[in-house]
Amino acid sequence: MNIELRVNEQDFRLVVEPDERLLDVLRNRLGLIGTKEGCGEGECGACTILMDGKAVNSCLVLAAQAVGHELMTIEGVGDRLHPHPLQKSFVELGAVQCGFCTPGMILSAKALLDRNSQPSEEEIKEAMSGNLCRCTGYDKIVKAVQRAAEEVAR
Amino acid sequence: MDYFRPRSVEEAVTLGQSPGAAFLGGGTDLVLQMRQGKVNPQCLIDVHNLAELKEIRRNGDVLELGSMVTFSEVSDSNLLQDSARALWLAGQTMGSPAIRNQATIGGNLGNGSPAADAIPALLALDAEVCLRSQAGEEVISLAVFLERYPLLAPGTLIWKFLVPLRGWQSGFAKLGRRRALAIARLSVAVALKTEGETVMDLRVAFGAVGKRAFLSPALAARFIGRELDVHWRTEMISGSQELVRETLKTRASAPYKAVAVGGVMHQALMLLQE
Ligand code: FES
Ligand code: FES
Repeated sequence: MNIELRVNEQDFRLVVEPDERLLDVLRNRLGLIGTKEGCGEGECGACTILMDGKAVNSCLVLAAQAVGHELMTIEGVGDRLHPHPLQKSFVELGAVQCGFCTPGMILSAKALLDRNSQPSEEEIKEAMSGNLCRCTGYDKIVKAVQRAAEEVAR
Repeated sequence: MDYFRPRSVEEAVTLGQSPGAAFLGGGTDLVLQMRQGKVNPQCLIDVHNLAELKEIRRNGDVLELGSMVTFSEVSDSNLLQDSARALWLAGQTMGSPAIRNQATIGGNLGNGSPAADAIPALLALDAEVCLRSQAGEEVISLAVFLERYPLLAPGTLIWKFLVPLRGWQSGFAKLGRRRALAIARLSVAVALKTEGETVMDLRVAFGAVGKRAFLSPALAARFIGRELDVHWRTEMISGSQELVRETLKTRASAPYKAVAVGGVMHQALMLLQE
């Protein structure tokens, strides 16, 4: 079927299968491989993207369902030259090790900061509770979100 | 496979007549079930964004909740926080934030998952379900609806829930994550009406104890007309433990759940008071 998706403020016309997951379309058809597949069943958060500003698991959404919604993947958050405060603080505070969970973590954190610019530690933990990390322990991640919140507030 | 995104409930119900049709909500259950080959719809009718199904509103002394209201929308609603606290609490504890942004209360019911958190809360709140099909509209008490096998006739759309606003207090608590083993899942919802310290009416519902969520009028009856004091609470906790033990009998999860429900009930009762 023909669909039109709006991803990172760009429109794409695509031909997809009706049962094709958004995750696969982002990665395989659009080449946006920053979005990762971990569990494929809504448990790990590696595939987290923003849909109308809200975090969703792209492994549990069909591409067809995303039509008419505004999507953002990690590629739309910032780049090497213009990193988002979250991307900067994650790197600076060692909240990235293998990096597999990082895009999902950043997007969950961004969804939080966009609606609550001064979250408490509890609120940060809650917002990130669907994102698993096998490497860092969550301490540094929480600290990185706090640091980014301070920078965004400034 | 075909995919449709109808513009009205009317159109959705007409499309629902097609052979092998399935209504698609947020997708958090259905997308996974399709991938695992557990269901093979020939035609998907995507209603997740249908405005008519996304309303939360007060209509006199009834709260109307569209079936495509997400758990995030439930937990963000001040109206629900004030008047349907058990459901509001269920909305907060269900899944992860990303799941809550997608998963809907109607999908929660339609998928018939034993761990559907919204269902015990809606049972305790004495909700009715409005269904739509080609045959017309049907309003049925959720408790009665849950006795149907199969739950939904083909082509039947869960349209909305009606929750009576009676000024009762309610609470909800749970154990276990979304895909946690069934053996580690359990939820309790309680709604009650008090006059002074006396409990005038009471509804108690359990989730993930058996195949479907259920109300226990027999348990509730023992606690109506009594003072809501520490004895009441202690007996309610032990009463729910007996009930779960009897319900699960020799099932593997019985020893664990029959104990654990005590803590969950305790928490649900703590959350009653604001
Ligand atoms: S891959 Fe989507 S939640 Fe794990
Ligand atoms: S950095 Fe490796 S999983 Fe998080």
